[in-house]
Amino acid sequence: MSVRLVRAEVLKLRTRRGLMAASLLLTVVATVAIELILLVLHATDPAKHRIVGGISHFNDGLYSLTQLATIAAVLVGATAGAGDLAAGFFRNLVVTGRPRASLFGARIPGGLIVMLPMAAAAYVVLALFSFVVPGDASTPSATLLVEAGLWFELYIAVMFLLSLGLASLLGSRATTIGILAGLQLLVTPLVQGLHNPGVGAESVLGLALWRLAPKEILNGAPAGHLGESLAVALVVIGVWMALALGLGTWRTVTRDA
Amino acid sequence: MPDVVETNGLTKRFGDATVVTDVDLRVPRGTAFGYLGPNGAGKTTLIRMLLGLLRPSDGTMELLGRPVPPERREALARVGAIVDEPRFHAHMTGRQNLWALAAAREPEAHARIDAALERVGLLARADDRVSKYSMGMRQRLGIAACLLADPELLILDEPMNGLDPAGMLEVRELIRSLVDEGRTVVLSSHLLDEVERTCDAIAIVDRGRVVLQGRLAELRDGAAAVLRLECSDPARAAVLLRLRADVVRVREEDGRLVLELATDDPRGETAAIAHVLLDAGFELYRLQLDHDSLEERFLELTTRLGAAA
Repeated sequence: MSVRLVRAEVLKLRTRRGLMAASLLLTVVATVAIELILLVLHATDPAKHRIVGGISHFNDGLYSLTQLATIAAVLVGATAGAGDLAAGFFRNLVVTGRPRASLFGARIPGGLIVMLPMAAAAYVVLALFSFVVPGDASTPSATLLVEAGLWFELYIAVMFLLSLGLASLLGSRATTIGILAGLQLLVTPLVQGLHNPGVGAESVLGLALWRLAPKEILNGAPAGHLGESLAVALVVIGVWMALALGLGTWRTVTRDA
Repeated sequence: MPDVVETNGLTKRFGDATVVTDVDLRVPRGTAFGYLGPNGAGKTTLIRMLLGLLRPSDGTMELLGRPVPPERREALARVGAIVDEPRFHAHMTGRQNLWALAAAREPEAHARIDAALERVGLLARADDRVSKYSMGMRQRLGIAACLLADPELLILDEPMNGLDPAGMLEVRELIRSLVDEGRTVVLSSHLLDEVERTCDAIAIVDRGRVVLQGRLAELRDGAAAVLRLECSDPARAAVLLRLRADVVRVREEDGRLVLELATDDPRGETAAIAHVLLDAGFELYRLQLDHDSLEERFLELTTRLGAAA
C-alpha cells in the first residue's frame, strides 16, 4: 500500500468543500446543535425537560448520531469510489501504469482517515453531553464509553466501505447514494419494525452491526429483539464487506478507463 | 535505435464494428511522430490500447521495447500521456492535481511538479482551482502531468484542441523542445497543417487502417511531381498528354489540367510538355510544377479509400 497514494486520496476528499461541510453538518454540527437545543429546553423548562445526560440520553443520542453519520459515511464513500471516474481523473491515474487494484486499495484508508475522525469528534461531543445534566440518572461508565465508541467507529467504517465498494462498482455517486439511503432509511427500519422478521432479516447489514453494539446500548435498541447470534452477525458483516470490496476491486480493474 | 512504439496486427473490434484494423505501427525514437487521420479514424482507440485503457481484440504491442500488457507497468513508468481532452479534479488546484498524479508515480515525481508547471507556463496559476482554467490551460496542465514521469515517450491526443494560434505555437515549440532533449512525442491529430509543422515522421490512418507511414522528409521526396497547366482546349490536350510515358495521371480541375509525373527529371519533362503543346498548336497560358503536399496526399488517400469502401 502506497502511503503517497493514500495521502492523495485524503487530499481529493478534503478539498471538496461541499462534501466536508455536509459531513461535518451530519456529524459534529448536528450533535452539538441537538444537545444545545436540549440544554436550552432544559434551562427554559426544567420541570418538563428534566435531564440532558445519563445513560438513556446517551443511548438515544448514539442511535440518532449513527443514523446521521451513516449518511455522511455514504457520501464520503460514494465520492471516494466514483469521484475519480466522474472527474475523468481515473484515466490519468491508469496511464501511470500503477496497478488498478492499488488505486482502489488506497481509497480505503484514504476515506477512513477523512471519515473516522469526524465521527469520533461527534461521538466525543455526545459523550461529554451525557455528563452535563444527568439528574438522578446514572451516567455511562468509562468501559461503556470506550466500547460504544469503538462500535460506533466500526459501524461508520463498515458503511463507508459498503458505499465505497458500491460506488466503485457502479461508477456513479448519485446512484450509490440513492441505493444506500434507501437501504438505511427504508429497508433497515422496516425490518426492525417487524414483529416476526424471519431469517431473511438477519442478512440486513444494519441489524448485524447493531448486534455487535454493547449490551447497555442494545437493550431497547431496535435490533435487540431479532435474536441474531454474534457469529451470524459477524458472518453477515463479513459477507457484505467481501461482496462490496470484491466487486469494487473487480470493476476498478476491469473497467474501460 | 529501436522503435519506441511497435505494433503488429493490432486490431480492435466493438461488436461487429472494427475500429482499428491490423495496424503495424513503428515510431522511431527521438522524433515528433504525427498520427494523422480524420475524426473517427480510430486514432484515440489505438492510443487507448497502447496505454492499457482498452484490451486489443488481436495483435501485439511494444512500448519502449517492452511488451504490453505483460510489462505494462514498467513501460508506462517512462510514458506520459493525454487521452482525449485532459481532465482533472475541478475542485482542486493545478498543483494539487499534479500532486495526486505524482503519488501514483515514482517518489521523485513530486520533486518535478514545479519544474513541470514552469515549463508549460502555469507556475503563476498553479494554485488556482482547475475549474477556473481555460481549455488551453488544461491542455498545458495535461502536458505538465506527462512531464512528471520524466518521460522517454509522450503520447498526446489532439493536444492543439481548444488552443488559440498563440497557444498552438507555444505547444508546438514545447513539443519540439522535448524532442530536442531526446524524448519521443507521439501526436495524434486531424490538423494536417499542425502535423506538418511539428512532426518529423507520420502515419496516416483512415478507417482504422494505417495507409501510409514514414519520415516526413522521405514522404515529401517520394511524393509525385505535379504539373498544373492552363492551355487552350484542355480536353484535347489531355488526350495528347496521356500518351507520354512519364505522365502517370491527367485530370481536369476548374478548366486546368493537373498532371502527375513519374520521372527523375520533372523540370525536363515540364519543358518537353511545353514544347509538345506549342508544336501541336495549343496556346499555353500557365505552367506550375509542384510536389504533392502532405495535405493533398492525406486527402487523396483518405478520400480514395472512403470512396472505395
